Amino acid sequence: MAPPIRHTRVKKLNRSSGQQILREDQIEDYDSLALHTENKTDSGVEKSEEKEFHLQAALANSSNGQSEGEIPTRPAEETTDIDYDALYSLKSDKPATYIRFSQTVEECTGCQYDMSTEDDVFLTEYSKSHPESQHSEDVFERIMEIFEETQPEFAAVDQTLYSFDTMRQALKQNQMDDKLLVVAKDFYEFWKKRRQENGNHSLQPELKSETQPDNDDGDPYVCFRRREVRQTRKTRARDVQSTEKLKRLRKELEEGRSIVKLVLTREQAKRELMKTDKEIFDARGELKAIKFKTGIKTDDEELLINQKPQRRRTSEFQGISRQPASQLRMPPRADGRALDADLILLSDIQAQKENRLQIEIQEKSKQHEIWNSGFEDLTREPLSPVQQGSKTGFRPATAQYQLMTPPSSVTSESFDHPSPAQEKLEPFTFRYGSPAEEDEPRGQPAYRRRIGRCGRLWIDRRGMRPKESDDVVSDRFKFDQDDEEEPPVYEMDAFDTKALRFRATIPFPQHLIPQRVRPDSTPQVRGNGPSPPSNRSIAAAPQPAPT
Amino acid sequence: MAGGERDKEAAEGQARRAEILAIKETKSGRQFYCNFDNFNKRLDEWVPAARIHFNQDVEWPSPEKPKDAKKAAAPAAKKTAVAQKKAQKRPTSTREASVASEGTTPHPWTEFVDSQKGTPDADGGELVAALDLDNTPGAEDDDPMDVDEAVAEAIIAKTQPPEHFSREEEIEKLRTGGSMTQNQAEISRIRNISKVQFGKFDLYPWYFSPYPEVFTQEDLMYICEFCLCYYGDFKSFTRHRQKCTLQHPPGNEIYRDDYVSFFEIDGRRQRTWCRNLCLLSKMFLDHKTLYYDVDPFLFYVMTTRDEKGCHLIGYFSKEKESAEGYNVACILTLPQFQRKGYGRLLIQFSYELSKIEGKLGSPEKPLSDLGLLSYRQYWTENLVDILLKYNESEDRCSIEQLASLLAMTPLDVESTLQALKMQVYHKGEHKIVLPTHIIKRHEAMKEKLAKDKSKKKVINPEAIQWKPPVFTASTRTWGW
Ligand SMILES: [Zn+2]
Repeated sequence: MAPPIRHTRVKKLNRSSGQQILREDQIEDYDSLALHTENKTDSGVEKSEEKEFHLQAALANSSNGQSEGEIPTRPAEETTDIDYDALYSLKSDKPATYIRFSQTVEECTGCQYDMSTEDDVFLTEYSKSHPESQHSEDVFERIMEIFEETQPEFAAVDQTLYSFDTMRQALKQNQMDDKLLVVAKDFYEFWKKRRQENGNHSLQPELKSETQPDNDDGDPYVCFRRREVRQTRKTRARDVQSTEKLKRLRKELEEGRSIVKLVLTREQAKRELMKTDKEIFDARGELKAIKFKTGIKTDDEELLINQKPQRRRTSEFQGISRQPASQLRMPPRADGRALDADLILLSDIQAQKENRLQIEIQEKSKQHEIWNSGFEDLTREPLSPVQQGSKTGFRPATAQYQLMTPPSSVTSESFDHPSPAQEKLEPFTFRYGSPAEEDEPRGQPAYRRRIGRCGRLWIDRRGMRPKESDDVVSDRFKFDQDDEEEPPVYEMDAFDTKALRFRATIPFPQHLIPQRVRPDSTPQVRGNGPSPPSNRSIAAAPQPAPT
Repeated sequence: MAGGERDKEAAEGQARRAEILAIKETKSGRQFYCNFDNFNKRLDEWVPAARIHFNQDVEWPSPEKPKDAKKAAAPAAKKTAVAQKKAQKRPTSTREASVASEGTTPHPWTEFVDSQKGTPDADGGELVAALDLDNTPGAEDDDPMDVDEAVAEAIIAKTQPPEHFSREEEIEKLRTGGSMTQNQAEISRIRNISKVQFGKFDLYPWYFSPYPEVFTQEDLMYICEFCLCYYGDFKSFTRHRQKCTLQHPPGNEIYRDDYVSFFEIDGRRQRTWCRNLCLLSKMFLDHKTLYYDVDPFLFYVMTTRDEKGCHLIGYFSKEKESAEGYNVACILTLPQFQRKGYGRLLIQFSYELSKIEGKLGSPEKPLSDLGLLSYRQYWTENLVDILLKYNESEDRCSIEQLASLLAMTPLDVESTLQALKMQVYHKGEHKIVLPTHIIKRHEAMKEKLAKDKSKKKVINPEAIQWKPPVFTASTRTWGW
């Protein structure tokens, strides 16, 4: 019966087709059938080991159903001669949630030098012979760790050891106490001796790492080689992959290059633009000079029309810009706005009212500031934080609004006049005639020493204000919305030259009104004659007053 | 090294063929490191000259192919040697002791075997096959299996030509991922560490591991149970213990139940720890190779918790991306936890991860002997369980269905069914037949577990908090 079965043609087993599942007692002839199934699959064990006695025995056992096969192995034993609790003294609580942890072994093991028995003997001896210098094992290990880390690895080849001087540097760099340098010298001698005995290898046993890839291939102690070092296997798929990668890389580089090219073009265009701008500027200057000379009084439209690109305008609103604005105000009566000037708009009036209120408040604070000018107030928020004046360099929304409001010279003038500031303003203007373009000289740095209670020493300083007129600097704050928390104390305004000047001419508190920055600028000594026409708002300013 | 010399070891009335791998001089005379034919390398040992039959011819290795020299040995001679052994009663332990005193290598294991003799495993079902007390390994007395048959099978297996791996091929294969070597010439074949203190246990390594070479001179090496750092010097070890704060594997816990926890550790992130783990496990895994670094692997570490922290039970490693679809690279239960069902938990966990990934997985080859047994056992249990249900409901089932239910590869399903002789061709149809003895054993096991719930250790898939990690090409290569 058996042989014929064997010779019947067996259909290939289709892994996806369902098979009948039977118990042995549900099929006749199981024994003879089973006999003829060949065991052709791979066990997965290496061929030369497949035949091993214990494995075969165990497999036979388990497939015969006798028992689970077992292979005898040498088992572990409980250690008898250690104090486990002393060695593993830390306790741990079971956290309620799953542990998440990413520290490395090095981060969890403290000093990476673990002193050996030999070190221990040395340290004990040393402590005995140097009763004046007792050092803990931790200190010893720390010093040794620095020695070991500092000594370069390649030194094992040429047998050189770093001198103690080098080591001292290293110790210092590692914030070792100077007091330890003495003992470190002694430890160094010991370390040196041990290194030499050890063939100048690391004192702590280390794994053998790959040094010469060609030679140590067969060395079973060399382990954990880097994978990148080896060349990858050449297969068609890999070749295709590499080609793809190279193509992509090239494409990306190409894109990078074209971006750089475009940037170049852009910058060149910018340069052209600037050149042109300058030409226009110069031409306007000339024109203005001519106009002035010839006494032509017309709209200065042609002087300004190109001059109001937004960029200018924004810079105008930075701290600096306001001062130039004021200067402008007097020389030419700017007429850009003249048209509007004739009409008094309700909105303007409302704005003026608002301005006035605002001004009054600011005036008061200014006044206070003036009292304090030249000194640094270190008290916390001596006054409730006030809008810092024009000098803040920031651009408060209100200020911007105010600048826009004076639409006509008339209105602004009439409005300006009532305020005391304006009166003060004018004298200044006269005195200094030409307004500075932007930069006003700061007070010179000065210090004052005071003796306070209990002999406390106070140093007050002033004149520390950094130049903020620089376009770049001011630009820095363009979008820097400062919050109220910044103590106004540190504002630079307080140290202005003009502040000093104002103090001399005390009764003019109003000219510090942010909107009326002009006064500040007026006193400037180094103004350029022709005021830059850049400021529109200025145009509206009371030109008549100075004249 | 005198690699390749073949010799017969004298052992009072029986002789066994062995390959001498090394010779050393000791105070008590010359000793030979012997690998016994057809016994696993973990049984290799130093044998004093007195126990070797120099009166028989010594086979010298042929210079080119030592492996072939092995094959050339006459199977007949082999067989007689085993027959002799079988007839012989178990040698007395006194003889063993005397040998031990002759040699310099003590045999603590012998005492273990003694203590195990005749005590059936309390776990039940798991029969501890104690090793023959003779210095040469062999079958135990109560081994129900016909030794001759096993040997006959062994000989058949042996006549098949071993697969040949060139050194370059081997290294290339390792470079591109795998962690198992097939080429034994590549690795040192001589056990180099004699004893390791690990936590509360003394471990006796089975195989070579590339710890710093100076440790080979130590009688005892110390390994910190938590960071797995190694020390030859006791003072250094205690100093380390005073500073070491690690109390669990340095990664994220991804599973926890009443018995065990699993941690996922990235070989790149935790290079030191993973290297240490590999060094440790190499002592118990013959084919594991440490040729390349641990970066491309993830390590899934199983621990048991007590008031000191999470103690390492075992682990498996897994390639971040396996070209061959392996879901396990190396797998090991530490010796102190072996034979307690933990291996099955590790295996189950690896398949649970594969299920979450939606992939079919298989362990990297070659398997070790113990690995094969554990996997066979796991596969058998699970397949039989499913097949019994199908049988009850009289439904049909395909290999692929079985495979996807268990996240096993169809190949593994098939080979298991074949090994159990469950695949038959009957009336023009392939059928799966459950042999009675397997059903009985399965039911017995179930019954036993039902009686004692504490024995029933299984992974509860719902307690796994894990998403398959994603690695881009650059992460794998550069760690970005
Ligand atoms: Zn540690």
